[in-house]
Amino acid sequence: MSVDTARPGATTGAAGIAASGRGGRGARVRWAGALLAAVALLALAPSYTGDYAQQVSFRIFEYAALGQAWNLLAGYGGMVSLGSAAFIGIGEYTTAELTNHGMPLVPGMLVSGLFAAAFATAVSPALFRLRGLYFTIGTLALAEALRLFMVNYNGLGGNIGIFLKSAAPTTAGLYWLSLGVAAAATGLVLLVLRTRLTISLRAVRDDEDVARQMGLVSFRTKLFAFTFAAFLMGVVGGLQAGKLSQIEPYGAFGLQWTVDIVTVVLIGGLATTGGPLIGAVFTVALAELLSGSPELHLAITGAIVIVVVRLAPQGLWGLLSRAGQWGRPGRARRRPDPEGAP
Amino acid sequence: MRIGARQVAVVAVLVLLATGCGKDGTSAADSEIVIGASIPLSGPLAGFGSFQRWGYQHAVDQVNQAGGLRVGDSRRNVRLILLDDKTDPNTTSSNTDTLISRNKAAALLGSCTPSLVVAGAVVADRNRVPMVTGCAPLQAFKSVKRWQYVWDVFFDEPDLAEAPFKTLQGAGVRTNNKVAIVHDNGPDGAVVGGQLWPMLAERYGYTVVSKQSFPVDNTQFNSLISNAKATGADVFLIDAVTPQAVTIRKQMASAGYNPQVIVAEKGAEPVQFAQALGNLADGVIVGGYWDSSFPYPGAAQLRQAFERETKQTYSQHIADSYAAAQILLDAIGAAGSTDATKINDAIGRTDKTYVVGPVKFDDQHTSKLPIAELQWQGGQTKVVWPNERKTGNLLFPAS
Amino acid sequence: MHLPGGHTLVTALVSGALLGGLFAVTALGLSLALGVMRLINLVHGELVILGAYLGYVLLSELGLDPLVGLLVVAPALALVAYPLHRGLLLPLVGKGQEAPLLTTFGLAVIGQNLFIQLFHADTRSLSRSYATAPIGLGGYEVPAIYAISFAVALVVVGSVHLLVQRTGVGREIRAASEDPGAAAVLGVDIGRVYARTYALGAACAGVGGVLVGLAFAFMPTTGTGYLLTGFAVVVLGGLGSVLGTLIGGIGLGVIESVGGAVFGDGYRDFIGLVVFLAFLALRPQGVLGRAER
Repeated sequence: MSVDTARPGATTGAAGIAASGRGGRGARVRWAGALLAAVALLALAPSYTGDYAQQVSFRIFEYAALGQAWNLLAGYGGMVSLGSAAFIGIGEYTTAELTNHGMPLVPGMLVSGLFAAAFATAVSPALFRLRGLYFTIGTLALAEALRLFMVNYNGLGGNIGIFLKSAAPTTAGLYWLSLGVAAAATGLVLLVLRTRLTISLRAVRDDEDVARQMGLVSFRTKLFAFTFAAFLMGVVGGLQAGKLSQIEPYGAFGLQWTVDIVTVVLIGGLATTGGPLIGAVFTVALAELLSGSPELHLAITGAIVIVVVRLAPQGLWGLLSRAGQWGRPGRARRRPDPEGAP
Repeated sequence: MRIGARQVAVVAVLVLLATGCGKDGTSAADSEIVIGASIPLSGPLAGFGSFQRWGYQHAVDQVNQAGGLRVGDSRRNVRLILLDDKTDPNTTSSNTDTLISRNKAAALLGSCTPSLVVAGAVVADRNRVPMVTGCAPLQAFKSVKRWQYVWDVFFDEPDLAEAPFKTLQGAGVRTNNKVAIVHDNGPDGAVVGGQLWPMLAERYGYTVVSKQSFPVDNTQFNSLISNAKATGADVFLIDAVTPQAVTIRKQMASAGYNPQVIVAEKGAEPVQFAQALGNLADGVIVGGYWDSSFPYPGAAQLRQAFERETKQTYSQHIADSYAAAQILLDAIGAAGSTDATKINDAIGRTDKTYVVGPVKFDDQHTSKLPIAELQWQGGQTKVVWPNERKTGNLLFPAS
Repeated sequence: MHLPGGHTLVTALVSGALLGGLFAVTALGLSLALGVMRLINLVHGELVILGAYLGYVLLSELGLDPLVGLLVVAPALALVAYPLHRGLLLPLVGKGQEAPLLTTFGLAVIGQNLFIQLFHADTRSLSRSYATAPIGLGGYEVPAIYAISFAVALVVVGSVHLLVQRTGVGREIRAASEDPGAAAVLGVDIGRVYARTYALGAACAGVGGVLVGLAFAFMPTTGTGYLLTGFAVVVLGGLGSVLGTLIGGIGLGVIESVGGAVFGDGYRDFIGLVVFLAFLALRPQGVLGRAER
C-alpha cells in the first residue's frame, strides 16, 4: 500500500502502528477534547446561520460520516469497496419502512444501520474469499445486483418508491442529527484506530498471509471493519431518507453515492483521519459553487482526482498537515524537529 | 496515526466558513423577483432539461421585455435561477432546498419525470413555496400525497392509454384484435402498461395475449420480443423511454417481428427517436400533448422562436415548460405580491388558455392537457388523431 | 417465471451465444488490462462508447459503413489510449492498487462529461439495414447483427490470441504479465509493453463499441453497463486469457439469454451478476485462467 511505504522510518504495519501508539492517555484526552470542542462549536451554528448554511453543512456531515466509514475500510483496511451504495440504499429503505410503521427517526436510523451491518455479515463469507482487485470488483457487482433487484422487485413500492409519512425534521433538526452522526462516526473510527484491532487491520492490509500466520485472525478483523463501515453507511442512509421524505430505488442504490464517497476520501486524503472531513467540505463546497455549470463541475472533479492521485496521495489533509507541521499523518507527536520545523 | 487538536479545530473552522459563506445569498433581491428551478441538465434526462431550460427562460425573458411584473406599487424584473440536478433525485431535493434558502426564490418551477419532480415538490410543499410543474403525468403526481403548494399541468395517464385505441377505432382499420404489451416498471409505465392498457384493450374488444415488463434502464429485449412475436399479435404496445424504445424497435426488426400497429409511448416522442432509427421509425405511433399546429395562442410562434434561437428541432416539452412558467408568472402578477400564500391562491384561480390549451386546476392541484396521437412518417410527426387536429392520415400497416 | 417452449429456448441459446461474441470483444480490453497489468480500468466503458461515437461520426459525416469504419476506429482508439496510459497511468505503477484505479475513475468522469459536451445527451444508434434484419440459422431466427458480431469477435479474439502467443511483441507481453521483475532484467521495456497492451485493449473496446452502436442504442452514460459486463466476462472466462474471454462472453450471453427467457428480460442483468458473483466466490480464476497466487 502506498501510504506506509512512502514515509521514511515506517516499517511494516504492525511496528509502524506500535510506534505511533506512543503518546498514550495524554494524546487521547487531547483529541477527545478537541473533537468535543469542535462539536459544541458547530452545534451552536443554527442560532446564527441561515437555513442554507445548515443544509450545506448537512451534506458535508453526511459525506464526512460516509467518508470515515469508507476510509476505515479502504484506507486502513486496504479493502477498496465499490459497494457503498448498497448499504446506503438498505438504510434508506429500512428507515422508510420503519418510520411508516410508527418508529421515530433516530431509532429507525440505528436499526437501519444494523440491517446494513447484517447484510454485510451475510455476504462476507463469500466476499472475503476475494482478494485485492477481485474484492473490489465483487463489491461493485454486489451493489449493482442489489440495485437491479430493487429496481425489478415490485414489493417495496417498485420504481415509484416509498413516501415517508411522518413529517421531516426541521432544517436545524437535520443539521444536528447529521452533526451527531458525523461526530459519532469520527469518534468511533478514531476509537477503533486506537485499539489492537487496528494493528491487525493494518497487518492484514499489508500482508494478509503473514498476518494470518502471526495469529491475527484476519477473517474476524475484516468482518469487523466491513460490518462497522456498513453500519455507519446504513445510518446515513436512514438520515437521507428522513430528509428526502420520498425514496426510490435509483436514487437510493445509485452508483453516484459510491462515486462521491471515493471522491471525498481521495481528495481529502486516503488513510488519514482528517481526510474524510476536509474532503467532504471541499467536495460539497465545489458542488455548490459549480451547481449552475454541470460540465465544469464534472471536468474539474475528474481532473482533481487525477492530480491528487498523482501528486498528493495524502490528499488535502496531507498537504495541510505538511504545510502546518502540526503532526504528519501516521507519525506520533514528537518533539519539534531539530531541523527547524516550527 | 494521530489527529491533533489543532487539526480538528481547523476542520471545524473550515466547516463554519463554508457554511457561513452562504449566509446572505441575497443579490439585488429586493429589486427582482426570483424564481428557481432544478432541472436535469446532465445525466440521462439532459435532453428534457434542455427543452425545459429554453421554455422557462423564454417565458421569463418575455415578461421582462414587457417591463416585468407589477408587485406592490413597482414593476420588477424576474430573475430565473436554474440548477442542474444531474438526473438524481437526491440532487433535486438539495437544489430545491438551496433555491429556497440561498436564492430566496419566491416561487419554483418543476423538474422532469415523476421521481425528480416529486423530489423537488416535496421540498416545496414542506417549505410552503408555490411550485408549478409540468412533465409529471397526473396519476403519478397525485398518488404521492395531497399537495398544498405544488401544481401540475400535464396529461393524464388514462387519456394517454386510451388514445391508441381511439385512433385505431377512428381510422377503422382491421387487425386480428390481439394486443401484446411491453412496458417499463417506472411510475407511469406500470400504470399505463400494467393496468390501463389491459383494461382498455378489453373494453375496445381486443384480447391481451401477452404483457411483459422490464426495468427502466434495461438494455436487451430479445425474449420480450420473441414472446410477443410468438403470440402473433397485430398490435404491439410499448411504454419505454427513448433509449429503450430505440433498442426495442431495432431488436424487433432483427427478430423479424413486424406487427401492423406499433405504439411506443414516451420514448418515440422526441426527434432523436427518428434520428436514431431512420426508416425504422416510420409508422410508430406515440401520444403527444402538443404540436405546433394546435390552435392555441402562440403555438406556431413558439416553435419558430425555438428553432430560430437554437437551430434544433422542436419538442412538445418547450410548450409545457413555457406554459408552466407563464402560469406561475401570471399568478405572481395577479397576486401583486411575493407572498407565498397569495401566489399560491392566485395559481389556484388560474383559468386561461395558454399555448398548451385551457388551464384550470382541480381540487387535487392538477390541470389536464388533452392528448393527441402522433405518428412518425418520413422523419416527421403527423397528428393522426383526433380528427379535428389531424395533419396526416394514419399509416397502416406500420411496417 | 415461465418455462419457454423448446423452440424459444433454443433460439435464446443460439442468439445468446452469438451475442456473447459481442460481449467478448467489448470485454477483451478489460481482460488484458487486468491480466497483464493488474489494472482495474474503470474508464473501459467510456472507451467502448467512444468507439460507438466515432463510428457514428464516420457514418453521419462521411457515410462510411461502420463495419468498414472499424478499420479506422480501432487504430484511432489505440492512438488515444497509448499516450493516456504513458502519461497518466504508467507513472503510478508500483504505487499500490488504488492510485491507477482512482485515476481511471477520474478519466471516466471526464469522459462522460466530454461525450455530453460533444454529442449532447441524446440517444444515438448506428442504423444500417443489415443491423436490423433477422437471419435464419438452421431453422432458428436470430438477429443478423449478432451473427456479424460473432464473426468480428472471432477475428478480433483470434488475432489478439495469435499476437500474444506467436509474436515477439506477444512474448514480451506474456513475460511482463508473468513476472515483471524478471522480464525487466531480461531487457523488456515494461512501461512500453504496458502502454501497448493498454492501447490494444482500447482498440478492441472501440470495435466492441461500434458493434454495440449497430445492435443497440447508446448515450453518454451507457459505458458503465459495459464495464460491469466486461468484469463478468473476464471473471467467467479467466483473467488474462484471451480465448477465455471469448468463452466467458459466450457463457454470459447464454446465461443471460436463457435467464431472460425464463425469468423475464428485466432479470437478465441480475442473473448475469449473480452467476458472476458465484464464479467470483468459487472459481475466481475463471474457466481458463491460472489460479491466482
